[in-house]
Amino acid sequence: MMIKIEHEDNSLTKGLQQFFKRLLETREIDALFLPVRLKDSSSIMPSLVTESVQVDNAVPLSPAFPLNSGRMVSRLSYKLSGRKTAVLLRPCEIRAFIELIKLKQGSRQELILIGIDCPKALSSSDYTAYMEKDPLDDDAYIQKVFSENDKTLNGFNFSSACNTCENPFPVNTDMNILLHGVDLSDGMIVESASETGQNILETLNMQQATEPVKRDEVVAQIKEAGLKANEEMIKDIEEKTNSITKLNSFLDRCINCYNCRNMCPVCYCKECVFNTDVFYHQPVQYHQWAEKKGAVKLPTDTVFYHLTRLAHISHACVGCGQCSNACPSDINVFELFKSVAQNTQAAFEYSPGTDENEPPPLSVFHEKEFEDIIGIERE
Amino acid sequence: MEKFEPVIIAFVCNWCTYTAADLAGTSRLSYPTNIRLIRVMCTGMVDPQYVIKAFLEGADGVLISGCHPGDCHYINGNYKARRRIKLLKEILPRFGIEKDRLHLTWIGASDGIEFAEIMTQLNDQIIEIGPSQTRLSKVI
Ligand code: SF4
Ligand code: SF4
Ligand code: FES
Repeated sequence: MMIKIEHEDNSLTKGLQQFFKRLLETREIDALFLPVRLKDSSSIMPSLVTESVQVDNAVPLSPAFPLNSGRMVSRLSYKLSGRKTAVLLRPCEIRAFIELIKLKQGSRQELILIGIDCPKALSSSDYTAYMEKDPLDDDAYIQKVFSENDKTLNGFNFSSACNTCENPFPVNTDMNILLHGVDLSDGMIVESASETGQNILETLNMQQATEPVKRDEVVAQIKEAGLKANEEMIKDIEEKTNSITKLNSFLDRCINCYNCRNMCPVCYCKECVFNTDVFYHQPVQYHQWAEKKGAVKLPTDTVFYHLTRLAHISHACVGCGQCSNACPSDINVFELFKSVAQNTQAAFEYSPGTDENEPPPLSVFHEKEFEDIIGIERE
Repeated sequence: MEKFEPVIIAFVCNWCTYTAADLAGTSRLSYPTNIRLIRVMCTGMVDPQYVIKAFLEGADGVLISGCHPGDCHYINGNYKARRRIKLLKEILPRFGIEKDRLHLTWIGASDGIEFAEIMTQLNDQIIEIGPSQTRLSKVI
């Protein structure tokens, strides 16, 4: 089923707000979770909204992407709350949340998942700079980002995660808001993606829409452009990091703050080994390293940390780019992770965030598999 | 030129490969001293981290060796180990640590002779591949 979201006062954003208000007023749901512009501020943060008037501050589509909300939805759903919440997420946020469901760190039971064609993102620091310098209004932004497939916005690059994304379209939801390949002068389209979604859309009593004819073609074009950009990015980052020494140089500004881990939506451990006593070395240990190598930079264990994180979670990397966004040293950790994730995901034929019944590859095994790696014959 | 003496770290399970090593010892079989055995209760407890650390500290080769399929004393630790080694074989070569520096074998408790043979072959192989890049790097 497809319904139409029309402009409200000539505005797509207001039209969307109207749609979310109607959702909230159906009483099918108790709360909305979506990006909201905070009072007297240009910051847009994901917020849990229960009052209809608050929806007037919602900005469902903007270049602000302060964090991967998949992680926040896990906080809202890891236990039952007795409330039903409709959550609006970007495609990579949905993928992350699906990974967390697999790890029992979230549940769909009390949620309505609403996906949206991705409106792309600037890094948080670029977003602040962009907002200070003649930004587009919310609607002009939507028009621009969904009509041109540009890599920049007012001279700022979209995040490299967005510019190399092969899949900026939502899957695995209850309903999706479609903009690509849709005639936006006529409004937007919401399609149901599950039975629950369909039932809710029916109660809204809104005008039905017809399949946007150009959509498949536009989707294919965008995917292809993403794939191509991704290939180039991977080639470049592989070249930059194809030895341990080069990897070390790539990471040489890393201060082991672990922000990249903290903001990674799929880095799931409650307590990370890098925060344990194992890495609280004895003073003499540093001296021994220095004596062995001639010199040792502190903090230590930087390459070790990143390689371990790659081993632990690259299979689940959803390519959201939040690791780079969080890095105070401006290291493009995302490119490193995506380039390795591509290999590890292919090795286990694993596609994170697509199917909640597909178990994470390191949580299962088969008796007969990978027999070619057993033994000491050279490959 | 000085002869290259590799450092090879072998994580061996207590119940099978370690017992085989013991048997090799009591049977007075010799094998290269470059191989440093680290006894673990099961190959299933070898976190990828241990392997990464060994390489970063300059190991030229790493071996994980445990019970044959079906013989693991914790039922399936060796199957889990196999997935982890598969994973590492995807990640490490990307950073120039060649696939052939990392191996997984099954050596049963009574295979003392096989143990000594495999260690000798492994040592020869690593000598052939040459010193690991991490020996020279300042990376910790
Ligand atoms: S590693 Fe980076 S890009 Fe991948 S899921 Fe984590 S934060 Fe997102
Ligand atoms: S966020 Fe940047 S500086 Fe902090 S640990 Fe990650 S890579 Fe290092
Ligand atoms: S006990 Fe030997 S591999 Fe598990």
